[in-house]
Amino acid sequence: MTVDFLRPTSIPEVIEALTGAGDEGKLIAGGTALALMLRHRLIVPSILISLDRVEGLSGIWSSAHEIRIGAMTRLREVEISAEVRSAFPALAAACGEVGNMRVRNQGTLGGNLAEADYASDPPTILLALGALLRAVSTAGERLIPVADFFQGFYTTALAQDEILAEVIIPRGSATTRMAYTKYRSRSSEDRPCAAVAAVANLNDGICTDLHLAVGAACEVPRRLAEVEALAEARALTEKLIHEIADGYAEAIETLEDLRGSSWYRTEMIRVFVRRALVEVRSGRR
Amino acid sequence: MLDAEARVRGAVRYAVDLELPDMLIAKVLRSSIPHGRIIRLDASEAETTPGVAAVLTAADFDQPGGPSLMYGANIPDQPVVARDRVNYVGEPVAVVAAQDNASAETALAAVRVEYEEETAVYDPLEASAKGAPALHADHPDNRFVHGKLRQGDVQAGFDAADELIEETFTSPLAQQASLEPHTAVAQWTDGMLNVWTGAQAPYTVRGVLAEIFGIPPEGVRIIVPNLGGGYGGKGHVRIEPLVAAVAWKATGRPVRLTLSRAEEFVTVTKHAAVITIKTGVKRDGTLTARQVTLYWGAGAYADASPGLIRASVPRSVGPYRIPAVRVDAYGIYTNLPPAAAYRGAMSSQCTWAYESHTDTIARRLGMDPLEFRRQNMLRSGEQYCTGETMHDVHFVECLEAAVEGLGWKEPLDRGAGPVRHGRGMAVMLKSSIARSKSECRLVLDTDGILTVYTSTVEMGQGAHTALAQIAAEAVALPLAHVRVVGPDTAITPYDATTSASRSTNMMGTAVLDAAGRLKDRLRQIAAPILEVEAEALSVERGEIFDDSEPESRMSYGEALERSGLDSIEVTGMHATQGGLDPETGQGVATPHWHQGAGACEVEVDIETGKVRVLRFHAASFAGRVVNPSLARLQNDGNVIFGMGPALLEEMVFDQGQLLNPNLSDYMLPSLSDAPEEMGSRLLESSAGEFHGIGEMTLPPVAPAIANAVFDAVGVRIRELPITAERVLRALKGGEGG
Amino acid sequence: MIEFRVNGEVHALDADPARPLLEVLRDELGLRSVREGCGIGVCGACAILVDGRAISSCLTLAGQAEGMDILTVEGLSEEGALHPVQQAYLDRAAFQCAYCTPGFILATVALLKEAPSPDEATVRAHLAGNLCRCGSYRNILEAVRAAASG
Repeated sequence: MTVDFLRPTSIPEVIEALTGAGDEGKLIAGGTALALMLRHRLIVPSILISLDRVEGLSGIWSSAHEIRIGAMTRLREVEISAEVRSAFPALAAACGEVGNMRVRNQGTLGGNLAEADYASDPPTILLALGALLRAVSTAGERLIPVADFFQGFYTTALAQDEILAEVIIPRGSATTRMAYTKYRSRSSEDRPCAAVAAVANLNDGICTDLHLAVGAACEVPRRLAEVEALAEARALTEKLIHEIADGYAEAIETLEDLRGSSWYRTEMIRVFVRRALVEVRSGRR
Repeated sequence: MLDAEARVRGAVRYAVDLELPDMLIAKVLRSSIPHGRIIRLDASEAETTPGVAAVLTAADFDQPGGPSLMYGANIPDQPVVARDRVNYVGEPVAVVAAQDNASAETALAAVRVEYEEETAVYDPLEASAKGAPALHADHPDNRFVHGKLRQGDVQAGFDAADELIEETFTSPLAQQASLEPHTAVAQWTDGMLNVWTGAQAPYTVRGVLAEIFGIPPEGVRIIVPNLGGGYGGKGHVRIEPLVAAVAWKATGRPVRLTLSRAEEFVTVTKHAAVITIKTGVKRDGTLTARQVTLYWGAGAYADASPGLIRASVPRSVGPYRIPAVRVDAYGIYTNLPPAAAYRGAMSSQCTWAYESHTDTIARRLGMDPLEFRRQNMLRSGEQYCTGETMHDVHFVECLEAAVEGLGWKEPLDRGAGPVRHGRGMAVMLKSSIARSKSECRLVLDTDGILTVYTSTVEMGQGAHTALAQIAAEAVALPLAHVRVVGPDTAITPYDATTSASRSTNMMGTAVLDAAGRLKDRLRQIAAPILEVEAEALSVERGEIFDDSEPESRMSYGEALERSGLDSIEVTGMHATQGGLDPETGQGVATPHWHQGAGACEVEVDIETGKVRVLRFHAASFAGRVVNPSLARLQNDGNVIFGMGPALLEEMVFDQGQLLNPNLSDYMLPSLSDAPEEMGSRLLESSAGEFHGIGEMTLPPVAPAIANAVFDAVGVRIRELPITAERVLRALKGGEGG
Repeated sequence: MIEFRVNGEVHALDADPARPLLEVLRDELGLRSVREGCGIGVCGACAILVDGRAISSCLTLAGQAEGMDILTVEGLSEEGALHPVQQAYLDRAAFQCAYCTPGFILATVALLKEAPSPDEATVRAHLAGNLCRCGSYRNILEAVRAAASG
């Protein structure tokens, strides 16, 4: 009794297949996460709906005020894209930190986001970049801010019949600076203990619009508006940086696993928020 | 390596590649509780699942004409499949043999098991304490082996000391983690049991299976292909009884069992250890006495532990001059998977303890760690705590080579910012197996091709290549004319095991023995043809000739042909005696001592606690090096392998359930974890004997790193692995040396 | 029917689309150089090249192979002669048990295709996801550097 493997070529076809399959159907993007779930028998779908033939889902489109990345764009492509490296170097860096080269060759940006693995890199940086996610269903389209997208462990705001089509990232300005740091407490191939993405405007040393997201140490990537506000219109001094780092460390409830206890992760949030801000302040794009 | 081209073509065949006609796939049902009774086991539904050929449970054993349930290399305390009790999560309870994976899995899910859980115990100290639940009725305190050493008067030594230093070190359960999983194929044909298995000790497997099935050893044939890594995890007996038993039930059809990665972790482990070491020392650096107490967490069954734990006794003291020594090594049952041999067995954990401890002593005395070791390391001719005289030992030279490679004399800027630097060293000794035997057979044919029949296992260490080189040189033939065949117990003679770095020495010497006889035979058959006395003939470079009449010569092949022989066959053997008195630990621990050292430079991030090894220089005494390239690979390989237990590897359990049974959560060293700079020195003595090099530079890795961390940031980590969190906690807790 | 190309040959297989491609390659096509080490895409022993890029065949479903152009180590040698990368590994003794070697060789082929003269960081980026438990990393890096400059 083998599985049905469908390869629709348009989004409406995908949605039709998805709604038709109901509980029996699963979308497959790059396939890495799905293959794992199948192997561990976490899911037993009888219909697999592949997205790899769908027109227009893969690609990187650049305009004056934003960059749009198709959900089926491979992580490796995002990593090496000249457009992305130029506009959002921390996003390219974050995509380059995912798993290993083979995972990046196969995994897609959309698949990565839809999986909502708490240890994943793209969600944290996209949160800091204020990205919007375009989701399509029979009801039509909607734009979901990343902040509203991740709702818990492996849980997103996507409805059963909704598919992620595109990631839209608004460009910053010439004075935008950003950093992404991923801290692995064990081997260089480990999942992260903590990750920090920081994006801010730096004008003559004065910081505005700080967006700082912490990931991998908690259930979903987190920004803390009240702590970010501390930096508004101020110079990023050592003292202020420490204050912000402490703010994040104190507020975020950290999880515990083989990569670090809750206490350790809190300390790492303190350390890496600081290091991310130091890097942003240094002005290196 | 002989088959190097096959290796880069991906053409080497491992046990996982074996396919036989009509082959069934086996899957194992495993206990989901760590300790308790099986109150119900019903396999009837599984037996009638479509595609299933056989289901094996304990009920199939101890029947007339059937297999015996209990077995064990030393103590027969282990059931092939659990009967009324289970003793660890993952213990085999039933085995299914089916057409394919899918039917095997369906059948497995249809086996009904009910357990009554009992209190379990995991830590060796807790397990041997009063009130702990006993796993086996005949060992109520869970203590099933006690290795001892008593030399001199330790109390007097402590009394005479200026300083007494005591520390406890721990090493967790870890795994050999070869990339190729355990695989075995078994088939019964006309009452003969044939097993193809990736095993390091084919004759041990043969013996145990013969006993289980009550048949003579010749009724069991073990064939071993290339292994995709062993590191001790494929030693002794592993999954063979399971496969052989389900194949016996599947009457005639071959059955294959390949373990999944998760199953690997619950099949064999590295011993957990709690080691307390107390040393008396005088202010001038002289050691007066040492007491070592080792609690080995052996898992749920004795398995290979009795031998290994007794072997740990001489390995636990260190290569130092100490007039009074007391060692107590306890093997303790715990409700965890059985522990067995591991690369650098027992020495890995012991060296962790005594070499970290050595630095503590040196620092306490205000002495340089290198100077302190120089003063106290044993030299050839000196006596070890077992009473034996050390011969051909070069601990000093090994350590000097390692530290020189690192540049110990160069100034080191330890840094003042968030990143600090430090250096550390370690030196180790390890005994091989005192009493063992290796046999080989050499066959020379009329084409002048020499075949070496050996039960030594090729697992990437280049054993077959080394043996071929030894044979080629000894028989005076080009390497291209030598083939190696085996292991196959039907045609290759006895070898104890491929482990403990014994093969080049033991089997190599057996080959030399056979080679000598082969040359004698060649002289004997050539003598009448050349009309010369056999003693007057030389055998060199593929030819036999008379020294005084060099034109009178013939090739080996010609000599055979002209004698009317198709081939010449000779056997060779090498055996060693020895052993230690069980009460005093006095005697001969090993035919020769394995020696290795390491020195490293590390970087410690004091904000995160993360340790990076920047440079590692290893040195080992190799005796007579057969193949320098392979020897360097062993040294390097050991250092990389050693990064694992030192910094990364730890099996983590919760109520007996393994939390990290996969290679994402159980971290193996990657290429990026390798030190940027690695050095390898092989100390040789070309006239000497072959020395094992399969393990020597592994045990020094963890203590060298810990000593370097202390040098960098002044904290002493006594638990493995040296995780960033442990270092940070120590830094914040103000814990010093 | 799933149709795809492996080592230059077109295959049409009637396989369960949910089956791991690793199994199909080993069991149906007899390509034993592709091996399972972890089953979760971490060790690289199952690596294959698809359009010149490495992916984990243990994390790829047979159904996804439709239209793929796959290369395994069996397809590397031209008329029996070793590929330069294989030769470099041979010359530098960059293996021990060799279970991981095909994965490393393919990773190296992909690396050099993308970056014929890679810097250290690029080498690491391509090879860090391949595990060698025997610990042959030093010789492997030497083989890669030799293949790059050769």
